[in-house]
Amino acid sequence: MAWAGSGLLWTAGGGILSSRSLAHAATGDPTPGDFSFVQISDTHIGFKGEANKDVIGTMQQAIAKINALPAEPAFVLHTGDLTHAQKAGAFDTVAENLKSIRTSRVFYVPGENDVFADGGKEYLNRYGKGTLGTGWQSFDYRGAHFIGLVNVASFKAAGLGNLGPEQLEWFEKDVERLSSSTPIVVFAHVPLWAVYPKWGWVTADGEQALSYLKRFGSVTVLNGHIHQIMQRVEGNVTFHTAMSTAFPQPAPGAAPSPGPLKVPEDQVRGLLGVTDVTYVERQNHLAIVDSKLG
Amino acid sequence: MIQRLAATRNASRTIDDGDRSPLKKPASLLGALGAPLFAGLAISAGVLAGPSALPIRAATAATRPTTASAPVGSEVGIRDFAFVPRTLTVSVGTTVTWTNRDEEPHTVTSANGDFSSPGLDTDEAFSRKFTAPGTYTYFCALHPHMTATIIVK
Repeated sequence: MAWAGSGLLWTAGGGILSSRSLAHAATGDPTPGDFSFVQISDTHIGFKGEANKDVIGTMQQAIAKINALPAEPAFVLHTGDLTHAQKAGAFDTVAENLKSIRTSRVFYVPGENDVFADGGKEYLNRYGKGTLGTGWQSFDYRGAHFIGLVNVASFKAAGLGNLGPEQLEWFEKDVERLSSSTPIVVFAHVPLWAVYPKWGWVTADGEQALSYLKRFGSVTVLNGHIHQIMQRVEGNVTFHTAMSTAFPQPAPGAAPSPGPLKVPEDQVRGLLGVTDVTYVERQNHLAIVDSKLG
Repeated sequence: MIQRLAATRNASRTIDDGDRSPLKKPASLLGALGAPLFAGLAISAGVLAGPSALPIRAATAATRPTTASAPVGSEVGIRDFAFVPRTLTVSVGTTVTWTNRDEEPHTVTSANGDFSSPGLDTDEAFSRKFTAPGTYTYFCALHPHMTATIIVK
């Protein structure tokens, strides 16, 4: 596990990770590559708790960080929990602020906070165009294939994140046509791997989804939900969870509950941030840079 | 959903540098500008189970019975991502009230879909009258690892 704020650049090549200092990104020395994209997650607009009284401000800081990158990202992925429990006006605030990101477009997958109250109606009205089912989607960009999955639409008692048979069937068919050398990037809100089932930090049928990707040489899985950085490499798959821009959460089992982690105000920005990913064509390299806000 | 899936099954698409479509600007956005962003309690689109299940604003902490420890009458506290007590036994006709003492929002959602509270903010409460005997399992729709049971005798 890598903790937020450690400032490491991760480069994945052939399933092996190496790291270097975040300073490379901060000093305008981007990882050489064909394109880069940014992951932003868990903006939780509407949260007003002690852990962060200014979630709009920290989201704006994250946007400023993205806009200051040496190279404009090709696009941005938001891995869910745009809002905090669908508070009134929160979706509008998110949309209004994200307009200022310098990138061509933003792709979204929902978090449970975005869909629990109305079954995802408002989310789909805003972000459902071009997606299937509860909002899942895929697209190609410069030889890489991106898949956005929704694993928060059918929470059950004592349950976990869940994709469901309909989405799994689509997912299997979606990757069927691809050659095994196609770099795959999967993004979803709840981790697809078992981070900490006791707190629901896992997707029940995530393993089945990942079984469809076994033949691919380069698979990167980007998640949010747990508000901290974790990395894991399993064969050809690199798993990565992103920091929140709103508030940190405790490490698995380190607190009685996964509630917001209260840290001194001057330290909280060190636990919030964005993720920058650079893709190097032909070498199938994905370099992942986690950048903290302060 | 089936129809939607069939209509857009091949929606996988390709984007490239030529795709410079601006970010989506929902039509409702302009109307929201200048309006208070977080007016009121902001419980939106909550699902209520009917007249017997109403969200209510909790009284001040000082006047409410404590719910942190043992079962107290028909009160269930929500604290540290847990329902306390986890099992509560009441008689038929009892109205049970849940109060969220966490900073995070929670819901009280029946496992079989019988009833559900909207998202409850800190110190907000939800009540439901149990008119038939039985075992009622419920959970938090935001944090489904939180489960508990009401036994009505």
